[in-house]
Amino acid sequence: FVPSDPPAPRRPLAYTEQSESDEERQFRKVFQQLAGDDMEVSPSELMNILNRIIGKHGDLKTDGFSIESCRSMVAVMDCDSTGKLGFYEFKHLWNNIKKWQGVYKTYDTDGSGIIGADELPNAFRAAGFPLNDQLFQMIIRRYSDENGNMDFDNYIGCLVRLDAMCRAFKTLDKDNNGTIKVNVQEWLQLTMYS
Amino acid sequence: MYPFGGVSARIQKDRLHAEGIGTNERALKFLNQDFESLKQECLESGCLFEDPCFPAEPPSLGFKELAPNSSKTRGVEWMRPTELLDNPVFILGGATRTDICQGALGDCWLLAAIASLTLNEKLLHRVVPHGQTFQDSYAGIFHFQFWQFGEWVDVVIDDRLPVKDGELMFVHSADGNEFWSALIEKAYAKLNGSYEALSGGSTTEGFEDFTGGVAEMFELRKAPKDLYWIIGKALKRGSLMGCSIDITSAFDMEAVTFKKLVKGHAYSITGLKEVNFRGNTERLIRIRNPWGQVEWTGAWSDKSPEWNAIDPSERENMHSQMEDGEFWMSFQEFLRQFSRLEICNLTADALSDDSLSFWNTIKFDGSWRKGSTAGGCRNHPNTFWINPQYKITLLEEDDDPEDEEVACSFLVALMQKNRRRYRRQGQDMHTVGFAIYEIPEELKGCQSVHLKKDFFLKHSSCARSETFINLREVSARLRLPPGEYLVVPSTFEPGKEADFVLRVFTEKRSETEELDDEVVANFEDEDISERDIDDSFRAMFAKLSGEDMEISVRELMTILNRVVTKHRDLKTDGFSMESCRGMVCMMDKDGTARLGLTEFQILWNKIKRWLEIFRQFDLDKSGCMSSYEMRLALESAGYKLNNRLNQVLVARYAENEVIDFDNFVCCLVKLEAMFKAFRELDREGTGRAEMNITEWLYMTMCG
Repeated sequence: FVPSDPPAPRRPLAYTEQSESDEERQFRKVFQQLAGDDMEVSPSELMNILNRIIGKHGDLKTDGFSIESCRSMVAVMDCDSTGKLGFYEFKHLWNNIKKWQGVYKTYDTDGSGIIGADELPNAFRAAGFPLNDQLFQMIIRRYSDENGNMDFDNYIGCLVRLDAMCRAFKTLDKDNNGTIKVNVQEWLQLTMYS
Repeated sequence: MYPFGGVSARIQKDRLHAEGIGTNERALKFLNQDFESLKQECLESGCLFEDPCFPAEPPSLGFKELAPNSSKTRGVEWMRPTELLDNPVFILGGATRTDICQGALGDCWLLAAIASLTLNEKLLHRVVPHGQTFQDSYAGIFHFQFWQFGEWVDVVIDDRLPVKDGELMFVHSADGNEFWSALIEKAYAKLNGSYEALSGGSTTEGFEDFTGGVAEMFELRKAPKDLYWIIGKALKRGSLMGCSIDITSAFDMEAVTFKKLVKGHAYSITGLKEVNFRGNTERLIRIRNPWGQVEWTGAWSDKSPEWNAIDPSERENMHSQMEDGEFWMSFQEFLRQFSRLEICNLTADALSDDSLSFWNTIKFDGSWRKGSTAGGCRNHPNTFWINPQYKITLLEEDDDPEDEEVACSFLVALMQKNRRRYRRQGQDMHTVGFAIYEIPEELKGCQSVHLKKDFFLKHSSCARSETFINLREVSARLRLPPGEYLVVPSTFEPGKEADFVLRVFTEKRSETEELDDEVVANFEDEDISERDIDDSFRAMFAKLSGEDMEISVRELMTILNRVVTKHRDLKTDGFSMESCRGMVCMMDKDGTARLGLTEFQILWNKIKRWLEIFRQFDLDKSGCMSSYEMRLALESAGYKLNNRLNQVLVARYAENEVIDFDNFVCCLVKLEAMFKAFRELDREGTGRAEMNITEWLYMTMCG
């Protein structure tokens, strides 16, 4: 399990005006519009933006992101339990979604707009998560529909959580011995806020 | 540290703290920048350090008066000392107070604090680590250590300084070629986000950030009767002490009075003495003008006749006629002439010299979060009790000779974290304060209790911060009889979010702990077999589940939503597919992603019970649960959680601070599943669960 590298040291938000590419400038503008005065993205703001985007991609099959899955996505990335995402957390999410969308299209081999149970392990491996069969089966049970098909919103919701949980494990496994120890308070904080 | 670890980042930070990271010896690396390795990289590559985290760009200067493109910042260049001068030095002949001349920034409070610091070399070198120069192995990189909200932080900077018209824009030294003061200011600006963020503040803020001590302020007009004794003790402890005369207008700044005292200027207090003067005891105080000149000319000043009337040997010891800025005055006169006394009490952490007696310190990190722990002050009885609560036990009384009263002195200081950094977003300090209550007889000796609304309705506080105020820190020196007390820190208005650190300093031995509910779950494992299920339920199930006799996620959603629409008093936006998926996955024991008859019966029984609890605790009959009703409801459902967890639940399940019925159910299903999972992982009951990544992902991806 190799989660993508954490981003380089943060440049404070105010500096982004200085030396950014057009794309970054565009992104910051979008963020400011979205996040409003508090410069933080709430679950419902996230839901609106995600649904606006998938509306533009006709080839992705989805019934839209629900508020519930957006809450969950915000929760796994939020480190100060304010229930909102800051600029950098949002950007991280954004870049991942772009990347995973590419993977989704590539591994939707039959062009159905959904990822079937047989396509899923390869897609997840390509996204950087080579899980074992037991975990793949659980994930299909949890995130796919009755026929084993995963649509786009469930796919993203699942990967966001998977990415965050792998990161959390890595963070807590400081000595890199492959196991972590948590007490009940830590356990509940980690699992209830996801 | 790991900015994208979610909750795990916080947990990891707590663990590091427990291991001793954040002390002066093992300071936390600000923004994860490591001085030694960055310097090494620069030396190897032959480049001078350029700090990506505090770049030499306009936003580092400020956001309003010093905003990019403002008149004050036009024409600013960033230059290294080596580009400005041929022979810059870091410290010339020891750090002295003349090294600090204010620039174009209203941070005199900071400079006054740095100036006091130069009087104590040991304290200075905790902030300014030894061995930094522009000569040997110079790489354009420097570092400083500051105390920030309970921990020491090591801040790395490059030495590019803002220069306008060939002159340093901000702090500079009188000598012109000495740069430690300009660099320390830059490091402090980086810590706070920009130079402009430093504008305006109090000297005590600087005092505290350089020592980790706790500051107290006394209005001398309303001085406590034991002030002489307090100052004496503070001197014995090596506390930093400053006094000043308030100004009524900016015009008054540094105006010199008739008897040569300077208004709006920070003096330090250096000594205290009782002498026999014409048969009476006269109390004297020694004060120093940091300019090193301009001394008081009234009674007991260097040349005043009072000295002739005291014992010659004593006169010999005390009296100096040198024009060195230092002078004596009578204590009564001091109270009349000066308006303000600031004491920065050092903690055991600050000096290792055992001969000085220190305050015992206890520190708590806490936070106020909307809906879960941001209860506001006592004026808001419905929410006041949800604030974090801390217990202190005062064990031994003071040995104050002037007082017959049996009492313990202690100091409570409540500091809000990081607010200066939010100024750029137009935010500032919250209005904060605290109240102290005597713990009721029946709860004495208990550890894990969070006192509820009723208690605060029936009892009034026995001590409190003088006011609620929008300063970084509110502190109060208090005296109470030995016993157990409860400290409740809060913002004035409910719903204001911030992190804070609460410190309690006691003269004598004491105990302190966060008064919070212990994490406990009491739920019954419902052991239902198919035989226990009655026929009517069986029939209903058959109707709902269809031919396969299992309930799918979609079927569950339909059923639950049909139920909630029958109960019109419940507020809910309906169960979503997503939450039903989670519930099925956690309830499903045989891995079919469906619920069989018994699994469904178990869920059904729970929902019925939770519905009762939901109604019972929805006191205002709003159809949904306010987040503080939630805490009580969970307790009734068998879960005692603490502040941190209540915060997390509100952040996850509340919308606009209320929890509707579907979220309530989802929360409980998950809570139960996670408690069970923990028990399974911690089979031996050690209180800690160990797992590998597969187990971890299996649990966390499922819910």
